[in-house]
Amino acid sequence: MLKKYISIMRGAALAALLTCGASLPAQTTASGVINGSLNNTSGISIQFDSDPAGVTLGAAGTNAATANFGTVSAFGPLAGGVTRPSVTAANFTVRTIFDVQVISGGLNSTSYTLTANLAAASPTGMNYKVDAITLTTALQTIQVNGAYNTPIAHNLDLVILTAAPGAGGPAVNTPITTTINFTATAN
Amino acid sequence: MMSCNFKFGGMKALLMMSCLLCLLDSGAAAQTSSGQLTITMSVQSSITLIFQNNPSVGTTGFCPLTNAGTNNVGLDFGTAAFPGSFHTSACVNYTHLTGAVYQVSSAFDVVVSKSNSSSPNYRLAAQISTPPPANVSWLLNNVTLTTAGFTTLDAADNYATPITKTLQVQVKNTVGPQPLLETITFLATAN
Repeated sequence: MLKKYISIMRGAALAALLTCGASLPAQTTASGVINGSLNNTSGISIQFDSDPAGVTLGAAGTNAATANFGTVSAFGPLAGGVTRPSVTAANFTVRTIFDVQVISGGLNSTSYTLTANLAAASPTGMNYKVDAITLTTALQTIQVNGAYNTPIAHNLDLVILTAAPGAGGPAVNTPITTTINFTATAN
Repeated sequence: MMSCNFKFGGMKALLMMSCLLCLLDSGAAAQTSSGQLTITMSVQSSITLIFQNNPSVGTTGFCPLTNAGTNNVGLDFGTAAFPGSFHTSACVNYTHLTGAVYQVSSAFDVVVSKSNSSSPNYRLAAQISTPPPANVSWLLNNVTLTTAGFTTLDAADNYATPITKTLQVQVKNTVGPQPLLETITFLATAN
């Protein structure tokens, strides 16, 4: 008899527990956190832009652009954006203008130094100048106080000997390709 | 950032120096960015022709060119007539060739230059732009020019060397009063 009573009481307690749970308020909020972190570093980046007065660069706006002078000669017509500022008995110069833009972020630096060098020795009969500075495979300083975040125009001159091929002059009717490396260093 | 608060033994000075160098090194790392601009072009041989005043310019037979030093110049013989060997220009060479024809002439220089070419010399030719009136002839170094095509003047002239040419106008005394105008085109061709 006692066992039956206990069993009934247990059942009643379990039922009460279950029905009591159903009447509790529903959980309608939840919370969590994200622990965000950012390491903001400083840096600069260089890019080449087409200048309105120069040839249209290939891959303009990047740091690996191309400038095509087309066919050049001492006396013949030139492509748009290419000028011929001088012709002498010994050489002639063809010029285009391109822009360098150095973008900075997180720096106290207010200006940069621009250097350049030829990736390889000049082809026969050719010399390359940026802003009248003759380039070699060694670094040459082009500008010491370049302003950030604005395109800065530079003259790119190709000084070409007038001598015939084989006599000191460049090869003719043959594409000549030269790469100039530029480096901007924050001051 | 590293701490420099070392307090042990004889290594202290060395460690502090190392720490300082480390800090200096991290502070001196310059911000740089590099890019490459690749240039392409092709050189072509070329020649050019210009007209220049002869060194004797101003004397008889050597009138000054207008716009000398270019490939588009002017040469004014002034006014002339057969009777009385009349001519207004002091620099033209005026002559009576026959009893009925007079000639005015003036000399100038042609200079042809080359670039990036192995051509040893060039040939020179010329032609006039419009047929002259009857009994009027235009000549260069006694070679009559026509509109039919270029007349060869020289077969092998040297580059970068002034070549003196004399432009002549021969007019018969039957030609009525009128301006005589011609554009003479010179053509240099690399040999």
